[in-house]
Amino acid sequence: MEMRERYTPEGMHTGPAGEQTDGVMPFGDLAPNSAGNPLADFEMIGGETFLRGARFASGVPAYPKRPLCPETGHPEQVEELFGPRGTLYSYTIVHVSNTRDVPYAIGYVDFPSSLRVLAIIRIPAGRSLACDGPVVLQSDDECWWVEPDDQA
Amino acid sequence: MLVGRAGRPGMSGAVIIGAGMIPMGRHRNSSYPGLAVPAVSTALSSAGVSPAEVGYVACGHSFGGMLTGQRIVKDLGIGGVPVINVDNACSGGAAALQLASKAVVEGITDVALAIGVDKLSQFGGGTLPLVEEDPEVRSGMVMPALYAMRARRFFYERGEDSATLAEVSVKARRHGAANPFAQYRTPVTSEEVLAARMIADPLTLLMCCPTGDGAAAVVIASQGRWRKTGVRGAHIRASVLHSGKATTGFRHMLRPEITVHSAHEAYEAAGIGPEDIDVIELHDAFSIAELIYYEALGLCPEGDAAALLKAGQTTYGGKVVVNPSGGLISKGHPVGASGVAQAVEVFWHLCGQAGKRQVEGARFGLCHVTGGGISGMDHGACTIHLLETARNRKAR
Repeated sequence: MEMRERYTPEGMHTGPAGEQTDGVMPFGDLAPNSAGNPLADFEMIGGETFLRGARFASGVPAYPKRPLCPETGHPEQVEELFGPRGTLYSYTIVHVSNTRDVPYAIGYVDFPSSLRVLAIIRIPAGRSLACDGPVVLQSDDECWWVEPDDQA
Repeated sequence: MLVGRAGRPGMSGAVIIGAGMIPMGRHRNSSYPGLAVPAVSTALSSAGVSPAEVGYVACGHSFGGMLTGQRIVKDLGIGGVPVINVDNACSGGAAALQLASKAVVEGITDVALAIGVDKLSQFGGGTLPLVEEDPEVRSGMVMPALYAMRARRFFYERGEDSATLAEVSVKARRHGAANPFAQYRTPVTSEEVLAARMIADPLTLLMCCPTGDGAAAVVIASQGRWRKTGVRGAHIRASVLHSGKATTGFRHMLRPEITVHSAHEAYEAAGIGPEDIDVIELHDAFSIAELIYYEALGLCPEGDAAALLKAGQTTYGGKVVVNPSGGLISKGHPVGASGVAQAVEVFWHLCGQAGKRQVEGARFGLCHVTGGGISGMDHGACTIHLLETARNRKAR
C-alpha cells in the first residue's frame, strides 16, 4: 500500500504519520507575537524607529512576526525592518472600548513595502490626522506608536 | 455554495414554511432556552408542523455555551435527530439556516429547523467582546472602531460627512417604529443622532446597533412536504457562505470583497440580479455599513451609495426597501440571532404577513449578514440568502 505523503515543510521528517511528532508540536499561537504585546517588537536605529517584522519566501510581509506565511502556510522567512515612515489609510478616536482605557486613537498605516499595520496614534497638540496623511513611527522603552510626520 | 437553485432539474429546493421571533431587547432574566423556545414554538405552529416531524436542527449562536441547540429543543419534544451548533459570529444564525436548508435539499430530512439566539446583556454593555488573542484586538481594535475607520475613509473618498451617516439611522429608526419586534421603536431626528455621545469618531451612539438579546427560528421543508401543508412559503433560491481571506497588506475598506463575491454568487445561483430584489435585510451594525453594502450588493454603482439613500430609493416608495425591520440599528443585533431574524422578516414580507411595515407585492428578498472582526480580514464570514415567494395552491 502506498504511503500517503504528508505535508512536510523543509526540515521536517518524513515517514509514517503515526510515528512522527516532529513539526507537529503546537505553536504558542499562530497569530503574530504570542508573547502578548504586538506593540513591543521594534528597534531604534539612528534615532528612528523601525518595526521588526519578517518577509516570507512568498514575498508576503508580516508584522508582528508569525510562524507561518498567511498565503502559503510555509515557515521560511527572513527578518525585515519596516518604517519609519508610512501613510495613514484611515483612523478613529475610540471613546468606548473593552480593550483599553479611553479615549485613544488607532489607525491603519500602510508602509511602502506593502505592509499594513494597525497602529496606536498619538496626536501632538495642534496637530490633526488625515486619511492618506504621512505618519512616522516613534517609540519609548516599552512600545511604539505613530504620529503625524512633520518632515513629510 | 448554493442550494435550491431555481429550475435545476432533479433538485428539490428548500422552502421556508414557518417563522417565529421574539421582540429584541434586554431580557436579562431569560436563559438561552427561555429566549429561543417561544420563537421555535411560533415557527413550528405557523408552519403547521409538529416537533416530531423535525429531522434536523441547526442552531447559530456566539455566546450560548455548550450544546445550546440541544438545551433549546429538548423542551419541545425534539430529540434523537442531528442537532448542530454553529458559531460564525454575526453570521452564526445565517450559517445555521444554510445547514438546515442543505439537510432538506440533500434529502436528509423533509423538515428542518434553523434557530438563531444570543444574549448580549450577559456582558453588561459596552463593546462586543472579541477574541483577545487577536493582535489587533490587543492593539485596541473594537467593532465600532473598525466601522469608524470605514466611515472616515468614506468621508475622505466621497466628500460626505456625519450628516449622511445620520440619515441612515433616521431611516432605520423610522422603519423600526412600525416593528413591534424592534428593540428601539421611537423615531429620531438627524440632530439627535449627531448630538448623541461619541462611541468611535465619527460614529455616535445612535449610529451603532444596541446591545441586546433575541431569538428567531424558521422551519424549512422540502417542496413535497411544503405542498402538503397548505401554508404560504418562501423558496430559498440561493444560500451562499464565504469566509474572509487574510492579507497583511492593503485592503480597500469601502469595497468589502467578501460581500461583493458572495452577492455575485447568490445572484448567479438564483438567476436574478439586484434590480429584481424588492426587500433587503442587510448588516447595518453601524450606519456606515449600510452605505457600503448598497454598493457591494450591487444596488448602485460604486460611489453612488449616499445619493441612493438621499433620493429615498432604499425606503418605502423607492427602488428597494432596505431593512424594513429597522435593521440591526433599530431592531437590534443579538449576534447569532440576527441571520435567522433577517430571514424571518423577509419571509413575512414575501408571505404578506409583515403588517404595517409590509413591502407591498414583494416577490424577491435578500438577507445579508457578515461576521466578526479578525485582523487581516474584511470579515470572518459573510452569508447571503435569496428568497422568493412560494405560491401554494392550498395556501390559507
